[in-house]
Amino acid sequence: MVVMLSLVLIVLIVDNIVLWDYQMNQLDWERIQEKIEITAAVSEDTVSLFTIQNIGSQTAHLISLWILDNSITNHQRYDLNTFINAGDTFQLARSDIILPGTPYIVKIVTEKGNAAVYTG
Amino acid sequence: MSRTFLNNNRGVTPVLSSLLLTVVAVAAMAIATTATYVITNNLRDTMSERVIIEDVWFNNQTRTIDIYIRNIGKTAIQVKAVYVNYTSQNFTKPFNLEIGQHKWLSIYEVWTPGSLYHINIVTTRGTHIEEYNTAP
Repeated sequence: MVVMLSLVLIVLIVDNIVLWDYQMNQLDWERIQEKIEITAAVSEDTVSLFTIQNIGSQTAHLISLWILDNSITNHQRYDLNTFINAGDTFQLARSDIILPGTPYIVKIVTEKGNAAVYTG
Repeated sequence: MSRTFLNNNRGVTPVLSSLLLTVVAVAAMAIATTATYVITNNLRDTMSERVIIEDVWFNNQTRTIDIYIRNIGKTAIQVKAVYVNYTSQNFTKPFNLEIGQHKWLSIYEVWTPGSLYHINIVTTRGTHIEEYNTAP
């Protein structure tokens, strides 16, 4: 009985510590591998176009887009749900975003926690 | 006959001692298992915390430092303390984030344009998220 319960203890420790640590390390490693770049941000008529390039080796899941207007220091966040494969370039078109005429910063954040910044 | 059987104590002590030993062993292992479960679960939660700062906004209207925080880990978090330039500051309490949740955290600190600020956010499990920012 003691041997059986000792085995339960070992399983608990291995499951909660060793395997979990391995999983979290894997997530951190994937996060390091992820790299995105915003190569262009332009306004055309009623649509704003953002060109995003995935230069990493992992598929990137974009979840947030920020427009930081430096003149009035306004920070506006928009939800995103876009996947870009490794090596791909994606053009994001948003009619609900108007780029300010004054200097601004575009920031895109991924699900893993990386961000790309573009100054316009 | 029955009186003789009841008065016969031979063989009782080994049975009782075996029973007692079993009970003690099971109880000890139950305590050890529970303790291991609680400790390893806490360690797992601590290892699972991943929090990022999406944006830092030195807000002109409210004169606060607003920080957009996202929980990208595998456990819910609670912000315990916020330090600006190594000094504890008041912030929107309680500040909890479930897995994948994101929202603004406002720090009631009067900031000066052009100054450098070291922002340190600490969770209840001891995870630190630190960033340097210059106020515009």
